[in-house]
Amino acid sequence: MLGEIFKGLRTTLRYLFRQPVTVEYPEIKRPVRERFRGRHELKRFGNGMERCIGCSLCAAACPSDAILVVPAENNLQQPNSPGERYAARYEINMLRCIFCGYCEDACPTNAIVLEHQYELAFYDRKSSIYTKEMLLVPAEQGHGDIPPVLQQLDRRPSPPAQIDL
Amino acid sequence: MTSAPVATRDLSIPSPGDITRPALAGEKETMVLNMGPHHPSTHGVLRLVVELDGETVVNVAPDVGFLHTGIEKSMESKTYQKSLVMTDRTDYLAPLSNNLCYVLAVEKLLNCEIPPRATAARVLLVELQRISSHLVWLGTHALDLAAMSVFLYGFREREQILDIFELVSGARMMTSYFRVGGLAYDLPAEFPATVQAFLDIIDGRIDEYEDLLTHNPLWLERTKGIGILDAEAAVAFGVTGPGLRAAGISWDLRKDMPYCDYDSYDFAVPIAQNGDTYDRYLVRMAEMRQSARICRQALQRLHDLGPGPYVTTDRKIAPPPKSEITHSMESLIHHFKLWTEGFKPPRGDAFVAIESPRGELATYIVSDGSPKPYRVHMRTPSFVNLQALPYMARGYLVADLVALTASMDPVLGEVDR
Amino acid sequence: MTWLDIVILIVKCIVLTLAATTMFAYFTLFERRLLARLQNRVGPNRAGAIPLPGGQRILGGWLQPAADAVKLFFKEDVVPVMADKWVYIMAPGFAVIPALIIWVAIPLGYWPDGAGGNLLQLAEIDVAILYLLAVTSVGVYGIAIAGWASNNKYSMLGGIRATAQVISYELALGLAVLGVVMQAQSFRTDTIVDAQTTLWYIVPQFLGFVIFLVASTAEVVRAPFDLVEAEQELVGGYNTEYGSMKFALFFMSEYIKLIAMNAIAVTLFLGGWKVPGLQTLADAVTASFGANIGNAVFGLTSLGAFLLKVTVLSFVSVWVRATLPRVRYDQLMDLGWKVLLPLALINVALTAIVNVILPDNIWISGIVLFVLGLATLIGATILSRPKYTSSQVTMVKNNARS
Repeated sequence: MLGEIFKGLRTTLRYLFRQPVTVEYPEIKRPVRERFRGRHELKRFGNGMERCIGCSLCAAACPSDAILVVPAENNLQQPNSPGERYAARYEINMLRCIFCGYCEDACPTNAIVLEHQYELAFYDRKSSIYTKEMLLVPAEQGHGDIPPVLQQLDRRPSPPAQIDL
Repeated sequence: MTSAPVATRDLSIPSPGDITRPALAGEKETMVLNMGPHHPSTHGVLRLVVELDGETVVNVAPDVGFLHTGIEKSMESKTYQKSLVMTDRTDYLAPLSNNLCYVLAVEKLLNCEIPPRATAARVLLVELQRISSHLVWLGTHALDLAAMSVFLYGFREREQILDIFELVSGARMMTSYFRVGGLAYDLPAEFPATVQAFLDIIDGRIDEYEDLLTHNPLWLERTKGIGILDAEAAVAFGVTGPGLRAAGISWDLRKDMPYCDYDSYDFAVPIAQNGDTYDRYLVRMAEMRQSARICRQALQRLHDLGPGPYVTTDRKIAPPPKSEITHSMESLIHHFKLWTEGFKPPRGDAFVAIESPRGELATYIVSDGSPKPYRVHMRTPSFVNLQALPYMARGYLVADLVALTASMDPVLGEVDR
Repeated sequence: MTWLDIVILIVKCIVLTLAATTMFAYFTLFERRLLARLQNRVGPNRAGAIPLPGGQRILGGWLQPAADAVKLFFKEDVVPVMADKWVYIMAPGFAVIPALIIWVAIPLGYWPDGAGGNLLQLAEIDVAILYLLAVTSVGVYGIAIAGWASNNKYSMLGGIRATAQVISYELALGLAVLGVVMQAQSFRTDTIVDAQTTLWYIVPQFLGFVIFLVASTAEVVRAPFDLVEAEQELVGGYNTEYGSMKFALFFMSEYIKLIAMNAIAVTLFLGGWKVPGLQTLADAVTASFGANIGNAVFGLTSLGAFLLKVTVLSFVSVWVRATLPRVRYDQLMDLGWKVLLPLALINVALTAIVNVILPDNIWISGIVLFVLGLATLIGATILSRPKYTSSQVTMVKNNARS
C-alpha cells in the first residue's frame, strides 16, 4: 500500500529533473502548421493584379455570413483584377468568422486565403470589420500566373453585372 | 456513515421542483444544496440540485439547458455543407466524432461510396480523437479528486494530438475535416511520421498515469464502490459507452454495428463487472490502449493503400479539385453549384449511430429533397447517460457525487446542443 | 524588567511577525514554482524579472507574492448581507493570530547574547510543547466561526468539516510529540534540541515522526487532507464568501501554520538548528575574530541550517500535494481515529519500554526503537489494507471479424 504511494511520488519527482514543456509566449511562439487557419488575406497574381474577381462564392459558402462582397465592373483601362469584375467592397466581420476555411475552399482563384496570424485582439466592435485595404496583400507580394480562362483580352465587354445581393 | 446506496431500485429522475418544494408534515427535513451552473467541477454548465441529509445525498436533480444554442434548429436553415461546422461544436471534446456521425448520415442519404483511403484516415483520426477525449476525461476526473498532476501530464499528450489535427486540417479542435464524400484535403506528407511519433510514446505515458492512480490506495478509496450502476439499471436508462461496459455488458457499436470498416481491425472491447467509478476508470484506460492499437493498424493500412483519392469522385456531391476548374466548364459549374446551393439528397431519412468516446452518438436526418435538411436530430450520449445520475448518486456523499459525475464524463455542449 | 527590555521585546515581536509573513510570501512562490516543475511546467516567472541583454531574464517571479498582495489589497471588500457582521469580520483575525504566535516558542537557531539567552528564540517557556499544542488547537476557531458567519451552505459545510478534522488529529499530534518529550525528559524546546546533539530523534522516534507528519498535514488542512477547502466540491469551503484582505489573512494563516508545523517537526525530530561541525566552526571563528563575531557566525549558521531543514520538509509537503488525491471525509476520520491514534499510543508504549530496559547507550536504544517503529508501521499498513472486491477488465471480442 505504501509502496504504491511511493511509486506515484517517484513518478512526480522525475518530472522535476526534466525540462518543462512550457513555451514562453510571447518571447517564443509555437510555430503553427502549414494549413493553420488564421487571419485572412486577399492575394494577388504575380503581375500585381488582384486575384479576387468579386464572384461572392466565399460569401455564399460562409456558414456564419461573415463576408460582404460588393462587386463592380473593372475599368478596362486600369483593371484591378483580370476579367470583368472585381470586389469593390470586401469586408469580413472577424467576430462572426469561425475560421472554418470554407471561403478558402470555395474561392475559384485562390484569392481569399487563411494565413497564419492569430493575434487578432481589438478593443471595440468597429475594429472587428476587416476591410479590403486591411486584407489585401501589397502589390509586390503577388504569386502565380493568371489562368487562361481569365485572360480574355479580345472579347467585347459583356453587359453590366446585375447583381442584387 | 457507510457508502452503501440507500434505495436499491428507484429508477426515478427527479426534477428540481421535486427537491426544492417545502417538506411535508412528517417528512424528515433535509438541506437543499444547489451545485449551480457556475461550479468549478460540474463539467460545464450543469446544475445539480442536491438534497442532503448531513453529508449524504438523498436525491439529486440534474437541471440542463444552460448551454442550449439551438444547433439542431439552426441546421435546418443551412445547407448540408454548412451544417457540418455546427456538429463540431456539440461535443466539443470530440469534434471529429461528431463530424463523422453527421457525414455518415448524409452519405447514407446520398448513397455515396467513400474511397478506402478516406475511410482509413477517418478511422485513424477518430481513434486519435478518442484518446484525446479520454485524456481530458482523465485529467478532469483526477483534478476533481485533487490528483492535479495527471491533468497536466494528460494535456501534454493531448497537445501532440491537437498538433496532428492542426497538421491535417488547419485547426486544433473545430476541424471540420471530414466532408461529405471523404476528407476535405489529402493527408500531408509529414502525417505518417508525426502520427508514428505520437503512437510511440502514448503507451509509456498511459503506464505513467496508471502508476499514479490505478493502485494508489487513496484513489482506490475514492473510486471503489462509488456510484454503482449495475447492468439492469444501465440498460433501463439507455446508458451507453464506458458506463455500460463497466457494468458488464459488452456492447460497442464498433464491433456490434460496424461502420467505416471497423470489423476489419484487430482490437478488443474492455468490460468490467462492478459498474463503479473505478471500473469506468479502468475501462477507459484500456480503451485508450486499444485506440492506439487501432491507430497503428490504420496507419499501416494507409501506407499499404498508397496514394489515392481522398474524396468521392461523384461531382454532384463533392467539389472537384481547384486545378480542374480553370480548364473544365463542368467542373466550374459543379464547384459553383455545390458551394452556393449545395447538393440535394433525395427525399427520405437516415439514421446512423457511431461509438463516440462517451457512448452511442447518432444522427437522424430527414431530407425533403432541398439543399437544406428538413430536420436534424442528434442523439447524444451524454444527455442519455445523465439520466442515470440520480440513481447512481443516491446514498453516497457529496464528495462521491463529484467523483461519479466526473466518471460519467458528461459534456454539456452535447447534453444541451 | 526595565522599559528598555520591554521595547526590545516589542521590537523582537515585530521582527518575528515580519519574518513569518515574509516566509509565508516566499513559501507561496516556492510552492507554485515547485508544483509547476513537478507538473512539467514553469511557475510564475515574470513578476520582478530583470531582463538581461540577450533576451534572458533572471530572478523571474520574485515579486509575485508582492503582486498578489497588492492585487488582493485592491479588491472589493464585501460583507454578505445576511452574514453575522462582526463575527464575519473578526474570523480572519482569529485564524491568523494563533498562526503567528506559534513562532515564539520555536528556537530558530542559537545566537548567544552574552547573558545566557538566545537571540533567536523569543520566549523560553517551560511548557513550550503544551503551549504549541494549545495554540494550534485555538487555531480552529477562526475556521469554524468563518464557516458559520458567512451565511452560506458551502461555508457551513466547510467549517463543520474543518472543526471535526482538526480536533480529531490533535490527539494523534499530541501523542506523537509525547514520545519525544519522554525521550528528552523535558517540555522545553531548547532542551529538546540540545538532547539531539548525538542522535536526531528521527531515528528512535521514527514512528512518531511519520505520525507527526501525517497528523500535522491534516491539522493544517493541507493536501491530501484539504477537503475543507476542496474547490471541486465546496467551491471555497469556509472562505467562499471572503475576498480581498480577509481572504489573504486566511490564506496566510494556513501557510504560516504549515511552515510552523514543519518548524516544530524540525525542532522535535530533525535536531532543530543543530548541524555537525557547527561548534568547531564557531570556536575557530571566536579564536580569530572575537566572541561577538563568533556568536554571530554561530547564530547565522544555525539559522541557515534550521531554514534548510524546514525547506526540505516543505518540499515533501508540496511533493505530496502534487501527487496524491484527496481523501474523503469519513475516510479522513477513520484514518485519524482508527489508525493514527492507536499507532501513537503504541509509539508511547514502545518508547517507555525500550527506554526503561536499555537506558544507557542512546545509539543502541535508538536503533532498537527505530526497528520496532518501522515494524509497527509496516504491520499497520498490512493490517489496515481494505478489502475490496476485485476489479478487472476483460478484453472481449479481441479479433477482427473479417
